[in-house]
Amino acid sequence: MNRLQKLTSIAVLSLAATAAFAQSSTPVQTGVFHGQVHSTSGRASIYNGSDGKLTLRLTNFKTSNGPDVHVLLIAANDARDNDNFLKNNVERVELGKLKGNEGDQNYDIPAGTDLSKFHTVAIYCERFNANFGTAPLEKF
Amino acid sequence: MISFLRKHKLLSAVASLIVVGALWYLFRPEKLFINKRVSEAAPFAADRDAQPIYTGTLSGKLHETSGRATVYRQPDGALTLRLTDFHTSNGPDVHVVLATADDPGLQSTVPGKALASVEIGALKGNQGDQDYKLPANTDFAQYSTVAIYCERFHAVFGTATLQPF
Repeated sequence: MNRLQKLTSIAVLSLAATAAFAQSSTPVQTGVFHGQVHSTSGRASIYNGSDGKLTLRLTNFKTSNGPDVHVLLIAANDARDNDNFLKNNVERVELGKLKGNEGDQNYDIPAGTDLSKFHTVAIYCERFNANFGTAPLEKF
Repeated sequence: MISFLRKHKLLSAVASLIVVGALWYLFRPEKLFINKRVSEAAPFAADRDAQPIYTGTLSGKLHETSGRATVYRQPDGALTLRLTDFHTSNGPDVHVVLATADDPGLQSTVPGKALASVEIGALKGNQGDQDYKLPANTDFAQYSTVAIYCERFHAVFGTATLQPF
């Protein structure tokens, strides 16, 4: 591939990416965090992309920093304590390690996740089984 | 034990280092003081789509009221209040207004207490999704409550507290 071809192929790629980003994505569910083991605040919203891809977005988010903290969707109306997690009697969908303890951040939700069942977001420290904070989601 | 440690100073020093290291890795105490801030872009085009900036759920005061109130900022900067899944009682001269959270009129359980409010418009319908234009300079930090308000009887049908989206 000569240099000119490389240049044009890059240009085409970035154009496609821009076009994909411009497609509208709308919030379908939202809720605010309340802190449990650590004070946690901000908003969790689920966006539905025009391609059907679901994204969890945290905004104005703030929690405590800690080791091995994860973002989960749980099959519960709310979680006031660690009990459900400790007994492992709450079903969960793992969304990934918490990217930062402050600020706006996005997490991909696996395709096929049933949002009518998994309708609460939990910030959860796997190492100490501590539920940092919970956001029950409501229809936006 | 003490004499053993005295005899094997190097060994005990190494052992305690390992223990301290393991405890540090387990608890990561420095994370209590070190923040990690991220700032990812929204999963939509902020320059083309209206963005929700405040939202809150409506609850009834003098009449049963439900639904969601959301403030959108349009790409051109214009502000819109949108009511969704909205449901309230029908009534005479009902308005959508913005009020301060501590307005005594909001706490009143009987009609007759006037609200110190910012008028948004006459309620278009007591059910369904509807949009209202908001003044461009609206201070949501001060006027953080959406109220469905009957001007004739000074009755607050329902309210929603706006929180940052």
